[in-house]
Amino acid sequence: MNSWNSVWKIGGIVLLAYVIVRGFSTPLQPGLVEASPTRLSPGKATVSLSAVGQPFLRDQETLEDFQLVLRSEEGLLKTQVLDISEHRVTASVNIPTVLPSPALDAFLFTPSSGTLFLGNAFFVENAAEGIIPAGFVAPAPDEAAPLLGFSFPYQPNIMESIRNLLWHVPMWFAMFFVMGIGFVASLAQLRTGQVNWDHRAEAAVRTGLVFGVLGLVTGSLWARWTWGAWWVSDPQLNGALVTVLLYSGYMILRAAMDDDERVGRLSAVYNVFAFIMLVVLLMVLPRYTESLHPGKDGNPGFNSYDLDNSLRAVFYPAVIGWGALCYWIYSLRLRMNRIEHHLLTQ
Amino acid sequence: MKMAVIFHLLSSAMEGFFFGSGKAHVVTGVALVILLGIGVSLWRMDRRLSKMERESQSKNP
Amino acid sequence: MRTGFQSTFQTAIAVAKMEWRLEWRQGHQLASVALFAVASVYVAFQSSDHETSTGAWTAMLWLVYLFSGFTAVGRLFDRERTATRQYLRWTVEPLGLILGKLAHAILTTTGLTALVLATFVLFLGWPSGLEQAGKPGLLVLGAWLGGLSVTTTLVFVTAVASQVQSAGAALSAVLGLPLLLPQIILVTRLTRGALLGTPWNTLGELPLFLAALSVGTSILACILFPYIWRA
Repeated sequence: MNSWNSVWKIGGIVLLAYVIVRGFSTPLQPGLVEASPTRLSPGKATVSLSAVGQPFLRDQETLEDFQLVLRSEEGLLKTQVLDISEHRVTASVNIPTVLPSPALDAFLFTPSSGTLFLGNAFFVENAAEGIIPAGFVAPAPDEAAPLLGFSFPYQPNIMESIRNLLWHVPMWFAMFFVMGIGFVASLAQLRTGQVNWDHRAEAAVRTGLVFGVLGLVTGSLWARWTWGAWWVSDPQLNGALVTVLLYSGYMILRAAMDDDERVGRLSAVYNVFAFIMLVVLLMVLPRYTESLHPGKDGNPGFNSYDLDNSLRAVFYPAVIGWGALCYWIYSLRLRMNRIEHHLLTQ
Repeated sequence: MKMAVIFHLLSSAMEGFFFGSGKAHVVTGVALVILLGIGVSLWRMDRRLSKMERESQSKNP
Repeated sequence: MRTGFQSTFQTAIAVAKMEWRLEWRQGHQLASVALFAVASVYVAFQSSDHETSTGAWTAMLWLVYLFSGFTAVGRLFDRERTATRQYLRWTVEPLGLILGKLAHAILTTTGLTALVLATFVLFLGWPSGLEQAGKPGLLVLGAWLGGLSVTTTLVFVTAVASQVQSAGAALSAVLGLPLLLPQIILVTRLTRGALLGTPWNTLGELPLFLAALSVGTSILACILFPYIWRA
C-alpha cells in the first residue's frame, strides 16, 4: 500500500471523527418558541416570550441592549423590555385600538445573538382595522448580525435535530457518487465487454445500496421528529425509495444468472437504463408532488444553511469524510470481486 | 403539547436538554467507538486483500 | 446491397407483420390478455363501493392497466426463447427486431387501452360526484399516451428478462415497476385532471411530457437492445 492510499483512508476516518465531535458538541443558537399570553386585547399588557438553545443573555449585558418589537403587517409596535433571563424576555406593551392586522409577529433584537423571530406570536382581539396611531409606533431598528461563536442555526421544528444534516445528507451524496461510478463502469462495460468493468459496476451498486438504505433510515427518523410521520409522500423520499428499489432489482437480476459474460452484459444494460430513468424521475417528481422537504417552493426552512459558517465548517468535512469511507468500501469490494474472479477462472 | 415538553426540557437545563443532561458526551463517545471499529475492520480487510493480491499474482504471473 | 437504414426498416416491418400474423393465428393469447383485463376491471368493480372518489378511480384504472400491460408485453419475447426461432438471432438485425417489436407493442397497447378504458367506464361509471369526464378527449389521449410510455419501458424490461433462463414473471415486475414510476405519476395526474376538467394551463404539459417519455424510452431501448441480443 503506498502512502497516498493510507493518507486518504485514515484522513476520511479522522474527518468523520471531527464531524462526530463537532456535530454533537456545538451548541444551538437561540430561537423563540413560545409566547404568553397568546391572546391580547387593546390596552396595557405584559407579555413574555421563551426561547430554546443557547441563552441569549450574556455577561455584562443590560436591559437597554435588548429591544422587542411587534409587527402587524407593515406597522411596527413598540414595547418596553421589563426583564431578561437566559431563556425568557418579559415586556410591557400598549396595544392600540386600531391595528392593520390582528396577528402580531415578534422580533427580539439581542446584542450578541442577532434578531430572533417568532411569527404570529400574538393575536389581538377586538381591534379595529387601520393604521397604528403615531404614539404606538416603534422606530425601525437596525438589524444586528449575530455575534455568536461556533453554533448551529436554530430552525423551527428541527431544533437540535439539525445535527442529522451531517449524517443524512452526506450519505445521499456518497450514494450518488458511487452510483455515478457504477453508471460510467456499465457504459464502459458495454463498450469494451471487459469483465473488469463489470466488477466495478457491481461493487459500486452494492456499496451504494448500503448507503442508500442508511440514508433512508436517517431520513425516516428525521421525518418522524420534524414532520410527525415515519414516511410522507414527498419527492425526495419517493425518489430515494425508488433508487433503492431499482438497484435492488439490479442485484436480483445479477443473482438470477450464472454465466459471467451474460451477467456483465445484461446488468450493464439494465444499469444504464435504470440510471437514466432515475434522473428523469428525480426531475419529474418535484414538479408533480407536494414537498415538505427543504429546498423546495414554499419551504424556505434550510435557506440559512447556505449562509451559516458554523454548519458549513462541519458539513463540508462530513461530505468529504463519508465520501472517502464510501469509496474505501467500494474499492475493497472491487478488489474482492477481482480476486474471486481470478481464483474461479484458474 | 409536544412543544411545551420540548420547551421545558430545553430551557430548564443549562445549555438545553441535549447538553444539560450530559447525554451528548455519551452519544459522541459511542459514535466515535463505532467509527473506530469500522475503520479498524476496514483497515484489516484492506491489508488482507493486499496479501491475497500479492499471493495470487506470484502464483500466476 | 441495400442501405442500412432501408434494410432495418424493412426488417422492422417484416417482424411486426410476422408478430401480428402469429398473434391472430394463435388467437388464444390475445384472448387471454383481453380476458385478464376484463376480469381485473370486474374485480375492481366488485371491490369498490358506488362512491369511488376520483383518486381511487384513477388508481384502480392504472393498476388494472399496469397488470394487463405486464401480461400483454410479458410474452413479447417468449417465442425467441424456443429453438425454432433461434435463427432470428443470426439472420435478423437487432435494431430491426426491436423496432418491429415496439411497433407491435404499440398496436397492442392501443387495443388494450381502448378495452380497459371502455370496460372500466362501463362497469364503474364515472367517479362519484361527476356526471361525466370534464375533458373526455384528453382522458382518452392521456390514457393512450400513458399506455404507450408504460409499454415501451416494459418492452425493454421484458427483453432483459427474456435473456435470463430462470426468470419467472416476478423478475419483469421487480425490474419494471420501479422504472414505471415516472410514467405512473404523470399519467395519474393527467387522468385526474382530465376527469375533473382542470384548466389547460396546468394540464397542457403532461401529454407532451408523456409523449417525450415514450419516445425517449423507445430510443434508449433501441440503443441498448443490440447488447441484450448479442449472444
